[in-house]
Amino acid sequence: MSSEVLVLATSVGLFAIGSAGALLHRHPVAMLMAVEVMLNAANLLIVMAARVRGQADAEAAALIVLVLAAAEAVIGLALALALFRRKAAPDVDEAAELRG
Amino acid sequence: MDSLFFPLLVGCAVALVSALGVVLARRPIYAAMFLLVHSLSLAALFGILSAAMVAVGQVIIYSGAIVVLFLFVVTLLPSGGVELGPRGSRIAAACVAGGGMLVALAAAEAAGGIPSAVTGGDLSVAAVGHALFGPLLVAFELTAPLLLVAIVGAVVIWRRREPHPRTAHVTKVAEPRRLVMHR
Repeated sequence: MSSEVLVLATSVGLFAIGSAGALLHRHPVAMLMAVEVMLNAANLLIVMAARVRGQADAEAAALIVLVLAAAEAVIGLALALALFRRKAAPDVDEAAELRG
Repeated sequence: MDSLFFPLLVGCAVALVSALGVVLARRPIYAAMFLLVHSLSLAALFGILSAAMVAVGQVIIYSGAIVVLFLFVVTLLPSGGVELGPRGSRIAAACVAGGGMLVALAAAEAAGGIPSAVTGGDLSVAAVGHALFGPLLVAFELTAPLLLVAIVGAVVIWRRREPHPRTAHVTKVAEPRRLVMHR
């Protein structure tokens, strides 16, 4: 097993864990943490691709993904706190006001 | 690159175990702590993969800002953020999503289309800076309005007064000091 396959397998494993966690949890903050794990998995793959191709462009893209993750966490946590304002133990399945 | 195999193996093992901890922890405070370990292990992996700039950014942005933000929110949660148990349909969906991706990985591995690293590429911080301010300049500059919109959006979501609260009994703990936007 080469190092590239190891990193690729780890990235896919992290994404699988994160997506399973995002689907499993009903707590909005726990769900967001699982989404952060998914973003980290994608970033790991981007950095590995930069190394495989020997070009620095992909590393710059990984930095932009970090900023994106920060913005996503800010908005997601604000939504989670707005949900908590209405109910002590919120359930993401119950927030369905946007359903048509 | 084979000399990097064992450091990578250790880093990958820590990252996977801490990711499992994030997902399986029963209390959000433990999940946030596992997220901190997870992001630090990924920073170590980036360092091993000679992405020094991304490793430093991971430590500063992820461990320093995002995880601390999660910790602040967890401390604001009423009753420590007790969670309802997962529904059966959610467990089934999680198994399908996680298992499907692992099957896809096995298929890619069996197909054998995974390339190995080329040598001699320039991955220095200067090269990353040239890429950031050259071909990726538009994307880099667009992160500034993105962050601005995120900040304004978070303030607006938090300050908005709900016209008809759905539940009557919001506990006192769940009700922080309310800031009402005048409109």
